[in-house]
Amino acid sequence: MKYLQYQWKSRLFYVLAISILVSVMLVSLEWTSWAEQINSQGYTHGEGEGKMPSILMYILPFVKELILIGVPMLITVALAKLIGRFKKRK
Amino acid sequence: MSDWKQNLQKTRYVMDALLLVSFMIVSAPQATGVPLHEWLSLLFIVPFAIHLLLHWDWITHSFKRLFSKISAKERFNTVWNYLLYLMMLLATVSGFLVSVALLPTLQIDINIQDFWSKVHHDSATLIMPMIGIHLALHWNWIVQLTKRMVSKKA
Ligand code: HEM
Ligand code: HEM
Repeated sequence: MKYLQYQWKSRLFYVLAISILVSVMLVSLEWTSWAEQINSQGYTHGEGEGKMPSILMYILPFVKELILIGVPMLITVALAKLIGRFKKRK
Repeated sequence: MSDWKQNLQKTRYVMDALLLVSFMIVSAPQATGVPLHEWLSLLFIVPFAIHLLLHWDWITHSFKRLFSKISAKERFNTVWNYLLYLMMLLATVSGFLVSVALLPTLQIDINIQDFWSKVHHDSATLIMPMIGIHLALHWNWIVQLTKRMVSKKA
């Protein structure tokens, strides 16, 4: 914990201040024509199916996450190893 | 295991594990229900801030290092971290702007726009593969630290 506590007040202040500043800038995306276009098109999702066994509601979201995080991770690790091997041979 | 607080790398390891678990819970509103999702997301700011604080040196030096001679991997990693940061903020900001439980409880009235619903859905989905690549870029560290955490000595 000592590493976390070191000058944590000033550091946290900076991190939060910058994050809030950037967040306010992100909110201004609302005024872009991109936002206008999506608002006028309308957007809905997740309706439909509905009838899912209830245990699956607790499992499937995590399966989805494991795949969406894990597959890109494994591909990147494999690629990095390949590039590393290629470089060593040169 | 009990000495992790005395070692910077081990402190990071424990906090990173906590971060990953909390991220995965926050990213599954279908399982937690939306109201809980909103309050947990607010709480998620804590492990996220800890993750940044534990890399203070990286934060203060990374930008300048972009203009010096560094490896392609480090350059990619730096840019990736910046993008990840932006995406995380975007997911959080858009989350607040589509809040149906947290803000109403705090008596804050908002008009939910389809735009922010889409941004929240898309950014939250995109951030998962982005974190996968983030983890892959620190793969050696993860493997090494896992061994150190498991073994009894040092
Ligand atoms: C669930 C989300 C995340 C997990 C599990 C995670 C995990 C990790 C791990 C394992 C490391 C390497 C080990 C270490 O030094 O601690 C790391 C480093 C780092 N992460 Fe994350 N991270 C996450 C999200 C983020 C986000 C959103 C940012 C946004 C800025 C970020 C910025 C950094 C930085 C700046 C470093 C160190 C820099 C470096 O040496 O490359 N992380 N993270
Ligand atoms: C790191 C931050 C966050 C992440 C990763 C995240 C992730 C997600 C995900 C994956 C969904 C499901 C989206 C879908 O399938 O359409 C969702 C929905 C939702 N989130 Fe978040 N969220 C975050 C922060 C927040 C915050 C701070 C709030 C409000 C205070 C919030 C409010 C909501 C609401 C109301 C929904 C349901 C609306 C919908 O399905 O479009 N989120 N979030």
